[in-house]
Amino acid sequence: MKRITLTITGILVVLSIALIPSSGFPEDRIVPIEVLRSKVQSLQQEAARLNEENQGLRWMLKALEDDELYVVVDTESNQLLMRKGDHVVHRAVCGTGSREFIEEETGRNWFFETPLGSFTVLGKERNPVWIRPDWSYVEENMPVPPENDPDRIVRGVLGKYALLLGNGYKIHGTTYTNLLGTHFTHGCVSLGDDDLALIYQTVKIGTKVYIY
Amino acid sequence: MKKIYNISIILFILCFSGVEGTAQEQDERAALQKQQQVLQEQVATLKREQDFLLFRKTMYAADSKYLVLNSEKKTGQLMYKNRVLKDFRFTPSRNFPGAVQSGMLVLTKKSEGKTDRNALIFGTALIIQWKRAVVPKREARIPAISLTKKDMLSVFSAVEEGATAYIVR
Repeated sequence: MKRITLTITGILVVLSIALIPSSGFPEDRIVPIEVLRSKVQSLQQEAARLNEENQGLRWMLKALEDDELYVVVDTESNQLLMRKGDHVVHRAVCGTGSREFIEEETGRNWFFETPLGSFTVLGKERNPVWIRPDWSYVEENMPVPPENDPDRIVRGVLGKYALLLGNGYKIHGTTYTNLLGTHFTHGCVSLGDDDLALIYQTVKIGTKVYIY
Repeated sequence: MKKIYNISIILFILCFSGVEGTAQEQDERAALQKQQQVLQEQVATLKREQDFLLFRKTMYAADSKYLVLNSEKKTGQLMYKNRVLKDFRFTPSRNFPGAVQSGMLVLTKKSEGKTDRNALIFGTALIIQWKRAVVPKREARIPAISLTKKDMLSVFSAVEEGATAYIVR
């Protein structure tokens, strides 16, 4: 009698052990299924929340990412790019400030550097005229004429077009086309004739110019 | 004897009915575990995406140039607000892929080497250099990316200490 009871109990114990689920990590067996369901639910909610927030952020950024044309000047590699978003519309070799320093006997001095930063095309000129500044006379060891001296007006040296960036700085043409790709200007950005014509035709007043 | 037999039968039925329930639960548990894993990965991806979107949002409003480096495509962009100023390609060092996580880095040092061998040092996380940049010995083991000399000169002159770089995968 006792033997039979023990045998049956033994069979039941062996069966129970054999049939207990064996998959997963020990802690998974410990975690009640309700807890697991709740974890999944909270993850679903978190994913939905993040998705919604990211969508909002993408819209916000999209609104800030206009499709306007802009100009970028790299003063290190002397390269000018016309860009629209991620796309380069036109690439040109340019000339930028020589980074040279000159000083007058009186102590007045000039450093020929292209200004860096964010600019706007304030105006467009055809057949721009160069009004020789004082430094151009000092540079050539010539006496500086009075401010309104007609000798200061020079035609044809800035190319056919100019884009005005403010404070006397321009994007213009040059007669020294062989120096394009180097630092040779007095601060303005110089371009070859074809590139200048294309940029003049494409760029509007108000276009942003980023010089770095 | 009969009593014991009856009890055994009842216990056996009870045991098997429990097993049946466990088998169903086992299936659900497996499905839930799989779902949990998928969701955890999805949440991690969404968090990474959100981090980058928030970075961009911040930089669009900031007045400083920054870099975005794509470690998979091995490309980079010099940016200012929402504008791309420069695109460039880079060569990662051997330890770069495993060692550098996606996220924001801060430029801690601009190291000017002789004959344009400059380096941009982002703490102990990353160095951006020209191929033959001279990096101080203690920084030699930091993961690095190499740019062409021309690109490096442009990027080097464009960013200031404290500028940020964001690595995306």
